Amino acid sequence: MISRILLEDVLAAAMSTGADFAEVYAEKTRNNGMRFLDGKIDTVSDDMVSGVGIRAFIGTRTVYATTTDLSRAGLIRCAKAVADALGESKLQVSINLTERIFPNIHPVKILPGSSLLTTRTDILKDACFAAKETDEKIKQVMGNLTSVDHTILVANSEGLYTSDRHVRTRIAVSAVASDGHENQSGSCSPGRGMGLEMFDFINPREVGKVAADQALVNLRADYCPAGQMTVAIENGFGGVIFHEACGHSLEATSVGTGTSQMCGKLGQKIANEKVTAIDDGTIPGAWGSVNIDDEGTPTQRNVLIENGILKSYMIDRLGSRRMNMAMTGNGRRQGFMFEPTSRMTNTFIANGNDKNEDIIKSIEYGLYAKSMGGGSVNPLTGEFNFGVSEGYIVRNGEICEPVRGASLVGTGSQILMDIDMVGQNLATAQGMCGSSSGSVPTDVGQPLIRVSKITVGGRR
Amino acid sequence: MEFKQIKELIAGACKKHGVEEFEIYYSIGENINAETLKNEISAFSSGESAEVAFRCIVNGHMGYSSTSYFDEDELEDLVLRAVDNAKVIENDDVVVIFKGSESYAKTTAPEPKMVEASELKKCALELQKKTYDYSDTVVDGTQSIAISFRDEIYLYNSHGLELSNKVGMTGCYVAAVVNKDGESRDNFEFAESIYGEKVDELPAKAVNGALDKIGASEIPTGKYNVVIDGTQMRSILSAFSPSFSAKNALLGMSLLKGKEGEKIAADIVTIVDDPMREGCPVQTSFDNEGVATYKKNVVENGVLKTLLYDLTTAIKTGKTTTGNGVRGGGVRPYNFGIMAGENTLEELFSKAENGVYVTGVKGLHAGANSITGDFSVESEGFLIENGKKASPVKSFVISGNFFELLKNIDSLSNEVKWGIPGGFTVFGSPDILVKDMTVAGK
Repeated sequence: MISRILLEDVLAAAMSTGADFAEVYAEKTRNNGMRFLDGKIDTVSDDMVSGVGIRAFIGTRTVYATTTDLSRAGLIRCAKAVADALGESKLQVSINLTERIFPNIHPVKILPGSSLLTTRTDILKDACFAAKETDEKIKQVMGNLTSVDHTILVANSEGLYTSDRHVRTRIAVSAVASDGHENQSGSCSPGRGMGLEMFDFINPREVGKVAADQALVNLRADYCPAGQMTVAIENGFGGVIFHEACGHSLEATSVGTGTSQMCGKLGQKIANEKVTAIDDGTIPGAWGSVNIDDEGTPTQRNVLIENGILKSYMIDRLGSRRMNMAMTGNGRRQGFMFEPTSRMTNTFIANGNDKNEDIIKSIEYGLYAKSMGGGSVNPLTGEFNFGVSEGYIVRNGEICEPVRGASLVGTGSQILMDIDMVGQNLATAQGMCGSSSGSVPTDVGQPLIRVSKITVGGRR
Repeated sequence: MEFKQIKELIAGACKKHGVEEFEIYYSIGENINAETLKNEISAFSSGESAEVAFRCIVNGHMGYSSTSYFDEDELEDLVLRAVDNAKVIENDDVVVIFKGSESYAKTTAPEPKMVEASELKKCALELQKKTYDYSDTVVDGTQSIAISFRDEIYLYNSHGLELSNKVGMTGCYVAAVVNKDGESRDNFEFAESIYGEKVDELPAKAVNGALDKIGASEIPTGKYNVVIDGTQMRSILSAFSPSFSAKNALLGMSLLKGKEGEKIAADIVTIVDDPMREGCPVQTSFDNEGVATYKKNVVENGVLKTLLYDLTTAIKTGKTTTGNGVRGGGVRPYNFGIMAGENTLEELFSKAENGVYVTGVKGLHAGANSITGDFSVESEGFLIENGKKASPVKSFVISGNFFELLKNIDSLSNEVKWGIPGGFTVFGSPDILVKDMTVAGK
């Protein structure tokens, strides 16, 4: 994208007023989107994003500047803007970059951008027609097939000069069921850090059917009763509970600035001993995987919590300076417009020892949250909130009638202690996580778990 | 690359490849952001960006593409990609490259200027110092941030229509973190300027807001009279704004389908969409399709007067576009707000007598379903006792249906609280009183 010699000059310019570290990040990203609506292919988009972000540090003070002008003059101007904002001294700096190639553990077989458009329309239509054909009550189906082909280059004043290409593909189907009086919706949206070979593992028709079935269940569901109850949360996107309730509080973004409830708790018991949780950016072809993070650090497998004991945080370069701890390969950003910060990759609760059927049998009265929606959390207090997109009442150890409109509300520290049974069917699901460094793909996951007591928001 | 050159290169590529109807939407932006932590500038960023978005009609279908990589080959490829994309479209939409409206209003906001980086840093540092000085309960993690941005937009199409707009804003905010009696709470306050009284008040407002939340108790599940602060009601309105899209209605994805002319809210509810609200920094006289924008009552005294239309949906339904079109189809509102009523906030408390005052809702993106109107969101706030604001309460959930909520609004306060702009959209609402809402607590 940019020559090594030019990068050396740009880094030197960024360091010229006393920076102790400088970094150039460049991206070229092709976003391909395709939307199905009302029985037809509706919109096709093809967007190219290209630009550079230059960052410099003095200690934990950072300056960041971006530009879409990739000429020598444009890049040097951007680097000088960084230098001018950072310090006042005048230094002659010289930088020597050595190219480093990290192994690619996520090779892509079918690049979406180079495949025929009709190959992609066929996949999307398969999924959407399957949803529509599920039942005559399915009145509307919306589908999106998106792919991202993201090439990054990272060079820094420590001599690192490397690049990586990350391809990901996702299909999302949402179905609306109507009985003439009211509408209910259901959705399914799997993705992988792969090209179109993703559909060798995921059947598009199955995706459509899951979305339609969920809408139909919600249509016959009554409102969920409100109050405190025991809740069993199913695998896959159920892992959003951990992502929201705990994951964000373990990011250096909040730990390093002292705004996390998890500050100073390494080695302490923060969760029920049944809970072991992992962040792993190295899983081949997974949605949240990358070879290197957006600061050029290889990703790794981080055990965050082991049998209830806090073992590790997720740390980016700035966080590493603030906390005086090593980087963990979690420095991520959406693209050049964003300064990187610590983010999750594929984050999940590991399998436990409880049999899934025992978990349901143990509940006298409660909620079985089969499918979760998104949520949010305040990392300072750990208070979180997330929606249940498909739920059922459990009575005397049996899953009974469906309920809708429920949400789960609590605090991270409390729910971690209250996860008192952990099942054995670990599965992950895909999400886009938003934070100060933009929207990045993350996997959430867990087996079926039981939370002894949590506030359920509902309308009865 | 200058816009003139971009325009010529794209027009040339269109001619070469036989594309007759096309539109170029070019935007360039600048932004500066100064952040403080522990009385120091902890982060400073500045950016410049440029993007050209292209669309064209091929065989009656609209193809789209965009790029921020400016060279001759890429700009030709941009045209080819849009042409390819148009060829797989199957919908029967009538698509239009717009010839132009008869006239366009003039925006009243002053020409936006970027503020010097040094001024922003000074503002953020002063706010930080004042926040720490205001109370010894203020702890590290407290941030103050000053921002300035400016965007220029140019629209050009094959009918020769040329439009442009410049918008920008400078502002600051304080996110105060306090610790008292072993409990941490935070609170966020924003001002749309970096000078003046509103800015001077931020530290005290931010800290007091956080301190007020200390010692919050939980409330039992039940039905309550609820006063929702305008700052929160506007978020709820924002979450359900897709329901006002005529395109969504046409697709059966809005419960407002077929409700134009019908009563959908209490008599006292009027919702206005205004692209030129006085004092709004992001005014626009044209939409993404080049259509002139105008102010309209979307809901008037409880009656749904109109949904929001783009050109294609208007043609499909035999209506006229409301000048709310966005690139890629569909609509966006501008200054979209519930108009003020007659009561003061204190009067709403006394009308509620006993109940809950909601000053925070969280997770609307997850807890609100714009297709069904259902919402269920975690909230924080205060008890209302004997007609007065009383002690703080937390971790309760307010649930209901947006369309029932609109019908059940009992009273409105006399001040519309407008939010922070997102693009050209700003939501606003007065404080509202709703009786007998379901609240889930302990």
